Amino acid sequence: MPPSFKWDSLKRWETLLAVVLAVVVIFNISQSSVFLRVDNLVNLFMLHIEKIIVVLIMTLIIINGEIDLSVASVMGLGACVVANLYERGVSMEAAILVGLGVGALCGIINGFWVAYVRLPSLAVTLAGLIAYHGIAEMLVEDRSIGNFPDWFNQLGQKALIGPLPLSLVIFFILFIIFAAVLHFSAFGRYVFVIGNNREAARYSGVRVRQVKMMLYIMSGVIASLAGILFAARLGAVRASTAEGFELDIITVVLLGGVSIFGGKGTLAGVGLSIMLVLCLRNGMNLLSITGNTQSTVIGVLLIFSVLIPNLTQDFQGFWNRRRMIAK
Amino acid sequence: MQPILKLENISKAFPGVKALDHVEFELFPGEVHALLGENGAGKSTLIKIMTGIYQPDSGQILLDGHPIKIGNSAQAQGYGIAAIYQEPLVFPDLNVAENIFIGHRVKGAFVDWRKMYREADDILARLGVSLDARSQARGLTLAQQQTVEIAKALSLNARVLIMDEPTASLSAHEVEQLFNLTRVLRERGVAILFISHRMDEIFEIADRVTVFRDGQQISSKPIAEITRDGVIQDMVGRKLESFFARNEHEQGELMLSVRNLGKRGIFSDINFDIHRGEVLGFAGLVGAGRTDVGLALFGVEPADSGEIILKGSQQQIRSPEQAQALGIAYVTEDRRQLGLTLPMSIAANISLPSLRKYLSAVGIIRRKAEQATAENYRQRLSIRTPSIWQEAGKLSGGNQQKVVLSKWLNTEPQLLILDEPTRGIDVGAKAEVHHIIDQLAGQGMGIMLISSDLPEVLAMSDRILVMREGQQMGIFNREEATQEVVINAAMGQSRSDVKV
Repeated sequence: MPPSFKWDSLKRWETLLAVVLAVVVIFNISQSSVFLRVDNLVNLFMLHIEKIIVVLIMTLIIINGEIDLSVASVMGLGACVVANLYERGVSMEAAILVGLGVGALCGIINGFWVAYVRLPSLAVTLAGLIAYHGIAEMLVEDRSIGNFPDWFNQLGQKALIGPLPLSLVIFFILFIIFAAVLHFSAFGRYVFVIGNNREAARYSGVRVRQVKMMLYIMSGVIASLAGILFAARLGAVRASTAEGFELDIITVVLLGGVSIFGGKGTLAGVGLSIMLVLCLRNGMNLLSITGNTQSTVIGVLLIFSVLIPNLTQDFQGFWNRRRMIAK
Repeated sequence: MQPILKLENISKAFPGVKALDHVEFELFPGEVHALLGENGAGKSTLIKIMTGIYQPDSGQILLDGHPIKIGNSAQAQGYGIAAIYQEPLVFPDLNVAENIFIGHRVKGAFVDWRKMYREADDILARLGVSLDARSQARGLTLAQQQTVEIAKALSLNARVLIMDEPTASLSAHEVEQLFNLTRVLRERGVAILFISHRMDEIFEIADRVTVFRDGQQISSKPIAEITRDGVIQDMVGRKLESFFARNEHEQGELMLSVRNLGKRGIFSDINFDIHRGEVLGFAGLVGAGRTDVGLALFGVEPADSGEIILKGSQQQIRSPEQAQALGIAYVTEDRRQLGLTLPMSIAANISLPSLRKYLSAVGIIRRKAEQATAENYRQRLSIRTPSIWQEAGKLSGGNQQKVVLSKWLNTEPQLLILDEPTRGIDVGAKAEVHHIIDQLAGQGMGIMLISSDLPEVLAMSDRILVMREGQQMGIFNREEATQEVVINAAMGQSRSDVKV
């Protein structure tokens, strides 16, 4: 039986998610004959593909006991950097590389303050959220930049492998990589140990700061990549691109059974949570329920299904850790 | 004369320990009553019962002859029982007067500031201290903060004042001022319970001395009837016979030399050598700086002066990873918070510091190898568990300690630092840990054994280094180190004073 992979919690939480998911899927099938068709399923994913790519790295960050509120701003900034450079005549390929580099830089800045200066990640990445968005505004102002090369626009839309567009292929590959890293590699083990108790990890010779830094750099690069894919899918970039996505992303992670206090969670649960949210939104579309109501439903679902059952045990762990820190 | 506070037949047990065992204790008005005892003798538990933090399992507390129940610290205050500690509990953003009256006078919608300042000035004057009631607490020295706490106790009309190591962080001059205050209070009829590890202070201020040992009251005499040696005899008179006897073995070459090691404000001028196969015990009272020396060697809190010479080469140890790479392992005294990741399995805990050994070519953890290691240690150290995949948090204290030992033995260290390795574990597991220590030394490991359990340190060590308030008081050979010698050094007397 693998350690750091908790079978009993898997049984309780992931099973519950799977049951709810099955109910939603059955409902969707009963409402629409096209639901199970491959193109509909691809479409289902593609509507939120950029967010669910970022969900993967956010899962690791939250299990590590931190948060990254700046992801949506980094997504927007990545897209704006690419658009701005392309508009100035830089080749699209080079612009994309610079965009990813800017994402990495954002991650380094976040990681420096969180890992080395030990400021709370909530505050650091909130500042990042504002600052990176501000830079995006400076680059693009109130315009919309488009007219990207055809190959770039097609990246976001055209089927690449079978019916799967590039971003969906990236998502599946990343999902497998992240599942392997989180649950079967040394790095993943460190992510859990640090999330459980940063000081205990340090006392065991774990390079706490490097692990946190790595996570934030990965977060920056992946968020920027997702932002660029978003630009490709929409065919145009505004300063407000991806604005507000961070909350949807964090919601999905928590709904997947990841503890907001760190140290607990599985990528399987997050995978189920992604499916559940996507199918739920699709089902509500079929019932002609609009976007705002959909968000309300998902918010309520989050509160009732995640917070309440976990409240007692999480708070206990939280206070224990607080007490230790206070000491 | 009737005692203000009388504790009758008080017992209090915690899992595995009898902290107080049928204790009798009296406090009379106008006396300074010193309470002495080694670490873990039951002093803290007694204070916590008197201030309502703990409830006794049996026995009763009498105030002026009437039985009372102290349910919490607010009730203790109501009965006129106040306490001040080594670290004063003042609110830095409030001023002196506000701190004095907080919780009992600064209430309601409006505060009569003029009246409050007048009363505060009045109390400070009665104590004979010149402290401005309007000054902010933030800028006060530790001694002044304690004065504020004493003023607060006075404003509450406290009749019993508990002073728990109040002098530990004070300078000699400040101690003198504190004693003057104490005498003022004594003259006003306050009963004072005074705890200190400094023998000189006790002879200076106390009227009566009570000694605790292993949760029992051993003696209680007026100051005129006691001698230093007598008190120390009372404190240490524990039997050593139940202890594990070390096997004879050869001591190897020099492994570690520490020269003038220091960390500002924590410890200074620490000098010792550890050879292969040697157990160097670190004795002293809690807070003497022993753990800090261990943490400096392990790189958790690096030292800022002095030299660490490991197998002939000087090392600057800046982080635990680096210490580990140099062959140093540190078994922490706080096994639940710092030694283990409780929600993770025994196997994952054991492999954590040496996880790199278990990686396949693509960086995946080889669980079979991880499991084999865990099973090996489970057998070697007889860790009692249904499965090595069980959460470490579900084990008993002794078995948790064996997991922590396993995790560090698995890094194949040459120098093993053990910090309170048997604290809070049962007798059987304790004997097993002692056996393990002996075996490891026999295999040539150098061991630094920090322990507040005096008989343990005496039985297990080849030599004993005694620390007191961040200073090294001396290193004693096995033959010359008796309980009396060690406790004398730990409490601040040089070797020549000791008459046993």
